[in-house]
Amino acid sequence: MTAPGAWLLVVDDEEPARRLLRDYLARRGYRVHEAASAVEALRAWDAHRPDLVLLDLGLPDLDGVDVIRRIRREATTPIIVLSARGEERDKVVGLEAGADDYVSKPFSIGELEARIHAVMRRLGGADTSPDGLLRLGSIELDPARRAVTVAGNPVHFSPREYELLKVLLSNQGRLVTRERLLRAVWGLEYTDAREYLHVYVGRLRRKLSEAGIGPLIEQMIATETGIGYRVAAPKPDLPADAPTAG
Amino acid sequence: MPAQVDNGGPPPTLPAARGTSIEAMKQIAARRLAPARVTARRSGPTIAAAMFLALAGSTGAVAIIRAVVPNAAPVYLLAVLTVGMLFGTVPAVLTSLAAFLLYDFLFVLPVYTFTIASPDEWLNLLLLVAVAVVIGRLAALQTERAQEAADRAREAESLYRITGVLASTRTVGEATPLVLAQLAETTAMDRVWFGLGPSPTEERIVADTAAAESLPVPGWHVVLQRPPDRPAHWVRTHVPRAGSPRAALAVVHRVRVEVAGEALGSLWALRARAEREPDRAETRILSAAADQLGQAVVRDRLAREATNAEILRESDSLKSALLDSVSHDLRTPLATIRAAAGSMLDRSITWTQDEQLDAFQTIDAEAERMGRLVRNLLDLSRIEGGALRPELAAHDAGELARQAAGRINPQGKMIQVDLPETLPAVLVDDVYLGQILANLLENAVRYGGATIVIRGRDLPEESAVELSVADDGEGVPVRALTHLFDKFYQVPRADGLSRRGMGIGLTVVAGLAHAMGGTVHAEGSALGGLTVIVTLRAAAVLPPDGDESGLVWSEAR
Repeated sequence: MTAPGAWLLVVDDEEPARRLLRDYLARRGYRVHEAASAVEALRAWDAHRPDLVLLDLGLPDLDGVDVIRRIRREATTPIIVLSARGEERDKVVGLEAGADDYVSKPFSIGELEARIHAVMRRLGGADTSPDGLLRLGSIELDPARRAVTVAGNPVHFSPREYELLKVLLSNQGRLVTRERLLRAVWGLEYTDAREYLHVYVGRLRRKLSEAGIGPLIEQMIATETGIGYRVAAPKPDLPADAPTAG
Repeated sequence: MPAQVDNGGPPPTLPAARGTSIEAMKQIAARRLAPARVTARRSGPTIAAAMFLALAGSTGAVAIIRAVVPNAAPVYLLAVLTVGMLFGTVPAVLTSLAAFLLYDFLFVLPVYTFTIASPDEWLNLLLLVAVAVVIGRLAALQTERAQEAADRAREAESLYRITGVLASTRTVGEATPLVLAQLAETTAMDRVWFGLGPSPTEERIVADTAAAESLPVPGWHVVLQRPPDRPAHWVRTHVPRAGSPRAALAVVHRVRVEVAGEALGSLWALRARAEREPDRAETRILSAAADQLGQAVVRDRLAREATNAEILRESDSLKSALLDSVSHDLRTPLATIRAAAGSMLDRSITWTQDEQLDAFQTIDAEAERMGRLVRNLLDLSRIEGGALRPELAAHDAGELARQAAGRINPQGKMIQVDLPETLPAVLVDDVYLGQILANLLENAVRYGGATIVIRGRDLPEESAVELSVADDGEGVPVRALTHLFDKFYQVPRADGLSRRGMGIGLTVVAGLAHAMGGTVHAEGSALGGLTVIVTLRAAAVLPPDGDESGLVWSEAR
């Protein structure tokens, strides 16, 4: 699915930006549909069912968040939001509506491609292996035994820490909002208790780091200030060639 | 403990003693006789005189009655009833006793002596007295109730007027003079004034029924004490470091204005020293008025705070909205520039020369767009500061229009420049006109449809030239047309979404056009969208002196 030739839908009303993205991504081996408005985007979505949607939130006809909701009603197709709106609140709204990741304009085009790659890899099943284990680098989480190992050595976690790690590992490649994590681990009534998360993520990082991951953990469980956390496998050197199957 | 005041009247009446207070009766009787101000002290002799008159009258009638009526007792009862109704219980009881003696003297055998011969007569007489006392008392009570009802009505009427004034005015400053005038009238005070401040000596007088200069805070005055569990009463109070007592002439009354324990100020009232203390009804009115004024002061304060908060909030949200749009409008071209540069820098991709050219052109156009945005922001502040200094010269409008059209990124749309060959030169600052056209074209590209047309028209009789930019987009509702040039104005959308953009482009267009002596207006376009028409001054035609066109041309900058 993430083979070269995956279909992307680029939705942006800025013609030059759209054209540049199209040309660049085409050269990187993707196939690209374009849309300049929400209506066009939904029409293209219905017609082509792309593998991934790059969506600018500031569209002339409809709010981009509505496009996310509309797509989410039908499919789990990854959506990466591109937006020039600076407010954290807007990002959270987009992510809560179902977007997988968020890239602020202006972005580095290489960084955008890395995000596309990460999201596609997750859907390609990189994080859930056939044996049912969740993996991130040398970290392995076995849901059946509720056990975590780093490079084969067991690491002990409290039940909450374990749950948090599990949610993080099952959302690799996405930007997970704090609200979502709190809901998943602590329950609905704790969605405002952000200091919990701060403390628990800190403990997770410390334990994993001490277990042998080292400072790289800061990249693997990265903080997106004001929004949440992004979990991704430690980046090998930036892919120098066209994307290949993850 | 401050001493009870003695300002020449009786001690304050307490409701506990209501029905039976002699002094209260006297006051009522006094008011009844002379509704203007009659003091309680003067009512004693009056009552005596009246009682005497009543008895004398009845005695005078004795002779006649004696001849006609076999039993004169009812006549006495009538006298007692009258006195009771007019003057109250005590006069009625006194009248009953007098009637007893008179009856004994005039009618009981032996007549013209106080001796009573028959024990039957004793019984008769005692019955007469008992009945007289009861009738007198009942009559007095009846009168008292009627009086009380009238007092209550007066009080209610007055309070109704006061609350009416407060409800129909917007501020305390507006309401107070009316309230005070009402108070002075209903409580029979010589002067009423209202001060705001935490203590009497720090008060600022808000309103005064007397036009004269405001009184210094008197060294002593009577303050209305309003304990929660007991009736209100007046207490003499000394104010340290206040003005000299003017006690010889008048008594100053003060009602504290407090809301929720906070001292807001005082309601002051002045009454000549010889006058009585305010009665219950007057005290209640003063007290209620003070409370109402206090509430109004608080209401005023809250309204003021709410307004201030609203202003702050609005200017805050305007600022943040502006910052948001500025950052959005700067980031958008910046994102394109970065994407173009990033694409070109990716060593893994070999770009053709055409693709490279295209990317560089995009970078150029988007940088131009950012520059225009920054220029608009600067121009806006210059327009507002009146700092625009156009350098007017004759320019070819067609040339400037074509340049502007060339600089804009059409984003796949078609821009037609359709100007007649014969269009005279315009007297403009070419930089300003370039900015005007760029802003209009950018709007047309952003909001319009596929086609944008720049037209020109000669208006010789006005020595003006009209340039218009028309698009075939959705257009703008007629209602919004007049606001289009207002700062930060965004055309409301039917779906409630906010338009992007800062709402300053057209403001700058109008500002720049005005600075060059031109005008701008907007209307529906023949293409179905919006047309913005800029009217500019035509350059003066010089007398022909060999130059073929007869126009002054200036070098394009």
